Amino acid sequence: MQNPSLVHLIFALSSLLILLASLGVVLVKNPVRATLLLIASFIPTALIYILLQAPFVGILQILVYAGAIMMLFTFVIMMINPAPMGGKGGEGGLPPSRLNTLVALLLLVLAAVVFIPGVYQAAAQTTVNLPLRPDFGGLGALSEMIFRDPANNPLTVSFELMSFLILVGIIAALNFSRRKSQSRLDSPSETVSASGQVEKEEI
Amino acid sequence: MELFNLQNVLLLSLLLVLIGSYGIFLRRSLILVLLSVEIALNGVNLSLIGFNYFRWSDVETSHYLYMLSIGVAAVEAAIGLSMIIVLFRNYNDVTRDRVANLREIP
Repeated sequence: MQNPSLVHLIFALSSLLILLASLGVVLVKNPVRATLLLIASFIPTALIYILLQAPFVGILQILVYAGAIMMLFTFVIMMINPAPMGGKGGEGGLPPSRLNTLVALLLLVLAAVVFIPGVYQAAAQTTVNLPLRPDFGGLGALSEMIFRDPANNPLTVSFELMSFLILVGIIAALNFSRRKSQSRLDSPSETVSASGQVEKEEI
Repeated sequence: MELFNLQNVLLLSLLLVLIGSYGIFLRRSLILVLLSVEIALNGVNLSLIGFNYFRWSDVETSHYLYMLSIGVAAVEAAIGLSMIIVLFRNYNDVTRDRVANLREIP
């Protein structure tokens, strides 16, 4: 935080970029372009995380989110190759109906409530800026928080439980994407082991 | 001009959630619905990190919550995309109209 005005400038520019890219994701017709725009919106998000003294979270945003999860989307889009507009897998919004209009109006009212200056000022008055530790948000402090005293630390337990969630996700994804006819023809154990290796590499 | 404060970070995250829910409600392709879910999740993560920096800057609890959140997002993307692949394989169609009428004649 050497130059305060530079921080404000970077924040304004990157939030503008995030909003434009996210609007592009929901408005553009080609799914491949939508995925690439979403990746483009993650990079200024990582910049804002770094401004918020969360450098490790910014690195995770680029490595895991933009690098791994979005690549999964890109692979699937290339695999099923949907047509850019019209027809099957194509785009364009739903035809205007009563429900959609209602939902759009609801979102608009929600946004208007936040833009009311009174609400905005109230949020400003509650802000308390605490002094930061010099190593705040670093990898050392973060791992110290998660893995200190692992036998009694609830964060360690829930962090390890995440691996079970991912394991369940892998099993569910495998089960969905297994072909029924193939599993009847082949011996079941071979099918599982072969597809299991492929799935692990992807994730 | 003071732009980098809690209310602007919250405003940005709210706008991201609104853009994401617009996409969730109004896009037809299921892949783009999943992408809109990712936008909304991104907004929620931004508000987590912003609250931790501006209000509770003594422990990094929200950084930990962010890690849990991207873990859940990865699992959700993997399962959702494999369901989309199954739909595409069986019906050659990944729009939400197809999912809404799964019971009827393919």
